[in-house]
Amino acid sequence: MRLLLVEDDTMIGEVVLDLLRAEHYAVDWVKDGEMADTALLQNQNYDLVLLDLGLPRKDGLEVLRSMRARKDRTPVLVATARDSVAQRIAGLDAGADDYVLKPYDLDELLARLRALLRRAAGRAEPIFEYRNITINPVTREIMVDGTQVSLSAREWAVLEALVARPGAVLSRAQLEEKLYSWRDEVSSNAVEVYIHGLRKKLGSDLIQNVRGVGYMVPKA
Amino acid sequence: MKMTHSLRGRLLWFLLAAITIAAVAQATIAYRTALHDADQIFDYHMQQMALSLRSSTPLSNDEARARQEAESAGGNDDMVVQMWSPDGAQMFHSVSRARLPQRAVLGFSNVRANSTTYRVFSIQTSNQTVQVAQDLAVRRNMAGNLALRTLGPIAVMMPILMLVVWWVVSGSLQPVARVRSQVASRQADDLSPVSDTGLPDEVRPLVQELNLLFGRVRTAFEAQQNFVADAAHELRTPLAALRLQAQSLDRADTPEARQVAVSRLTAGIDRATRLVEQLLILARQEATAAEGTAAKTRPVDLADLARRTAADLAGVAAAKGVDLGLQQADPASVDGQPDALQILLRNLVDNAVKYTPGGGTVDISVLSGAGTVAVQVEDSGPGIPPDERERVFDRFYRVAGSEAAGSGLGLAIIKAIAERHGAVLTLGSSERLGGLMATVTFKTPVQTAA
Repeated sequence: MRLLLVEDDTMIGEVVLDLLRAEHYAVDWVKDGEMADTALLQNQNYDLVLLDLGLPRKDGLEVLRSMRARKDRTPVLVATARDSVAQRIAGLDAGADDYVLKPYDLDELLARLRALLRRAAGRAEPIFEYRNITINPVTREIMVDGTQVSLSAREWAVLEALVARPGAVLSRAQLEEKLYSWRDEVSSNAVEVYIHGLRKKLGSDLIQNVRGVGYMVPKA
Repeated sequence: MKMTHSLRGRLLWFLLAAITIAAVAQATIAYRTALHDADQIFDYHMQQMALSLRSSTPLSNDEARARQEAESAGGNDDMVVQMWSPDGAQMFHSVSRARLPQRAVLGFSNVRANSTTYRVFSIQTSNQTVQVAQDLAVRRNMAGNLALRTLGPIAVMMPILMLVVWWVVSGSLQPVARVRSQVASRQADDLSPVSDTGLPDEVRPLVQELNLLFGRVRTAFEAQQNFVADAAHELRTPLAALRLQAQSLDRADTPEARQVAVSRLTAGIDRATRLVEQLLILARQEATAAEGTAAKTRPVDLADLARRTAADLAGVAAAKGVDLGLQQADPASVDGQPDALQILLRNLVDNAVKYTPGGGTVDISVLSGAGTVAVQVEDSGPGIPPDERERVFDRFYRVAGSEAAGSGLGLAIIKAIAERHGAVLTLGSSERLGGLMATVTFKTPVQTAA
């Protein structure tokens, strides 16, 4: 899952960045509104934007409005200190999917992120089930025939991206984008390696190869 | 009468009073003129009658009565005629209840008898005395009737005039009523200007002043709202950072991660502390300014202050690789509060160092001129765009894109202190260093008696 963090405060930014990376999200961090615009235009593949409103150069609300104006449907979680009801309404009406007030709790932020990602994937139920496999994105528990299977962080990242949108085919390049943020080095066959590892642990049914296109998880 | 404050009511009352006074005056003048005319006419009439009765031979009673009746035919003039023979015997007196005293004042005279006043004309011939008299009440009645008749048109005109005035005044006041209802029906926070179209010239300046006031209140209101919004953001952000830093410390599972988290938390606490300190300084400065009490001032040596500030901040500047120095130090002294001026200069220099990238220069100058003393801080930083130079004084305002983490209160504090010392803070561009040039200019009182 690849996130764009838009936060002008260095102290908040570095903590949230580390936290999200520890949760195995691939995160890019920009510190002003214009950089946010640039990042969003360059990479159409963000799964979620965590947006502060009081930004230098271009206000967060403007970033949000221009996103929605060009039909960018990426979920946006607004995290701001602007707390009046009118400001919250303005944020949601400008196209935000959710609104958290600073100071917020890390666990709550993560839960809201998961909820938004789930809803963006068109699912309401938090647990994905396919035949003999259940996947819980919150606890990262994966059960195959009732026994727990443990995955590496990268394997989990690939699986999470695929499970987020069952039935949708993701190309290798798209999966790489979900896995790595700007700072990471990408090895050429990394995705194949992780897919191979996942198939060994979960069986070959779950992740299907669409030759010449990419990979998908079938709809439950 | 209760004094009315209604423009319309007052106009109507004054109009009524004016018309009444005019009517009374007119009636009085008409009465007097009529009385005067009547006097002349009746006097002439009496004279003519007397002369016609004066014949060379004494008339018999019947003749005299016939003559008198002929004279006064057609008018009930209440003429009384008496005639005496030279020996004093009454030869004739007309049919009248009035009996005049026998007097022989020749010509015209006023005689009081029988509780009325008579106008009497007497004429004497060799064989008789003729006296013609008339009750003055007749003349007064006639004059009174004439005067009353002149009041008639006024009595008719008065209600019409009042109606017209009522109508004109109501029409003219219509726009005023409209403005009133516009103002009355608006929300408490609606400070948009009221339309002044159609207003009478006498009222328009009032509404225009009202609109100007609305404008000023709106500006103040917006500044306040901006401040509240900015304050919410600026006070919450350090707290949000602290909370996140504490939580990340809680999650750190390796000694290295814990160390990073602790140093971040410490930095967060330092920032929150600095913010609180700056807020307190600003609040104290503004409170002192609001009290208006002339706090104890004493001469402060600005050059010495600049030297001390440069020394204080040399460490910070060196750590950042900024060359901080005293460019010029004219001997200059102002009356002021040493602590406040220290804070002012410290904030100015601190800002300059903060916003100047490593390798840059910050220069402090104390300049003494005619009647003014100035402290100038120049830097080689990015400066402030001219269109933002007003806003930077707002509390919590920070120039977009500035990298440095400040409280956003520094310039507000500097301005508060400068204003309290009657000094002016101006921001410009430094030609020498290319960055911002902040100048605080103090007026030094002209020393009349040194």
